[in-house]
Amino acid sequence: MNSLMRIQALAVNTFREAIRNKLLYTLLGFGILMIGSGVLLATLSYVEVDEILQDIGMGAIRFFSAGIAIFIGIGLIHDEVDRRTIFTILSKPVSRTEFLVGKWAGLTFTVWLQLGLMALAFGIVSWMAGAPLGADHAVAIALIGLELMLLVAIATLFSAFTTPMLAALFCVGLWMIGHFSRDLRALGEQSDLESVSTMADFIFRVMPDFEVFNKTLEAVHGLPILASEIWMAIVYALGYTICTLLLGSMIFSRRDFK
Amino acid sequence: MTVERGEVVRVERVVKDFRPGFGLRRKRVLHGVTFQVDRGEIFGFVGPNGAGKTTTLKILMGLIRPTEGSASILGRDVAESEFRDQIGFLPENPYFYPFLSAREILDFYARLCGVDSRRRAARIDELLEVVNLSYAADARLRTYSKGMLQRVGVAQALINDPEVVFFDEPMSGLDPIGRKEIRDVILSLRAAGKTVFMTTHILHDVEMICDRVAIIVKGAIRHQGCIEDYLLNSTVSTDIVLSQLSSETAVSLEENFSVEMRGLGERVELTVPEKRVRDVLEAALTSGAQVVSVTPHRSSLEEVFLNAVQDEEGSV
Repeated sequence: MNSLMRIQALAVNTFREAIRNKLLYTLLGFGILMIGSGVLLATLSYVEVDEILQDIGMGAIRFFSAGIAIFIGIGLIHDEVDRRTIFTILSKPVSRTEFLVGKWAGLTFTVWLQLGLMALAFGIVSWMAGAPLGADHAVAIALIGLELMLLVAIATLFSAFTTPMLAALFCVGLWMIGHFSRDLRALGEQSDLESVSTMADFIFRVMPDFEVFNKTLEAVHGLPILASEIWMAIVYALGYTICTLLLGSMIFSRRDFK
Repeated sequence: MTVERGEVVRVERVVKDFRPGFGLRRKRVLHGVTFQVDRGEIFGFVGPNGAGKTTTLKILMGLIRPTEGSASILGRDVAESEFRDQIGFLPENPYFYPFLSAREILDFYARLCGVDSRRRAARIDELLEVVNLSYAADARLRTYSKGMLQRVGVAQALINDPEVVFFDEPMSGLDPIGRKEIRDVILSLRAAGKTVFMTTHILHDVEMICDRVAIIVKGAIRHQGCIEDYLLNSTVSTDIVLSQLSSETAVSLEENFSVEMRGLGERVELTVPEKRVRDVLEAALTSGAQVVSVTPHRSSLEEVFLNAVQDEEGSV
């Protein structure tokens, strides 16, 4: 119970700090601008206007939300160490795992909140353009929320032991690989060299597969999203997030704060 | 680890190596540091800059792990975190979230310590009063001066009414009034039966408030003992500043009481052996001189400290 109270206090504080970050509003603003600009870009086509509008909107939500998760997340622990605020916090009955989880929870809540704002903008733009909106759109956006939860955990992990610059490189790299690893494996399978296909398969299995959370195509084109796919995404996100935070906690627990 | 009666902090043969950069070479910053702090005392941990005071304190706070040896507080290994609701810590030059007010940051720390929600607000008000920050309780910390931040640091260290309080250079950057306020807080903690561990390189503070002291130089404890022992063994002299002292009386004081005399404009400063202070004052007052100040000098701790530093430098 006390542990939950401490994590909650840390999370609330992280949230209060994150919402003062100018980067959050810059990326949120660009995201909403991009969602809105879908109306103009869709007019360039005579067919599938609604689909183009929503495809751009969903893409903007995913891209800018990931940017917020990564670029605020990479400083999450590093800044606390750099500013030495961590000294007084860890001198209280707070374990390093609680600290890490509290920071992760606070930023996850922040990116979910901004995701909600972008989703609202997406809904308003779709409604004004007369594009269809249904439960599938909500599911697709909720899955982006799961992706962000995992992405924040990865950013927290790297922030726990490296500089923001390196953490940013690792996070962006992982996020991109995570969206292309299926294609990479498919390409590898077509290769004549066994080592290439083995390597592509290895990358697919070891790296996070962010395409699990990508149901934009189904939502935009009215294709069914299976309940099993949703459950798979939930279990995958929770499992991967817990493992990432555990690894982060193990590394963070061994750190000296000079 | 067994806890002896009355013992609150125990540090045993602690060694700490740091690895500068990415190389394999290690730099040893603590060489088998051993000391203990007893319940209810103010313990001064003294040393020059870079001696290893803060490193030792960080080991006690669980912020860095010892390479060898062990450290415990209230009988619990410092690597544990659960018992930390019984300790308080003020780091050197504390920094807090600038977007919060003093009241909000204290509420945050109170939550981390699990302070009961019914007691929290009253405890925060009480501490703001103690550190004299009630007037600025709701101002953002970014608007605070260094001295005010130091006082917030003291308040957060006491938020959980701890048994043991650790202060790292508590008087650092404070003006004379601020230093007196912090000294009063530390003395009131001892009066309340709390144990205080403070690092400092200001010997005057140590002499004024500490019960025991350990001197660390280049990562090794050179001396430790009761402050009374240092002071009793000290060579005491007293500086007396007089005004309106006639030249005849001055010559008489110099000849009869073997005092050293220096002119300070219209005033005269005398350095008088401890045993002759009363006689000198009586003679001066009888002659019509006025006493401006009387300042006793106990140089013992300072001598021990300087000798320890010089010995170490000489041995390198």
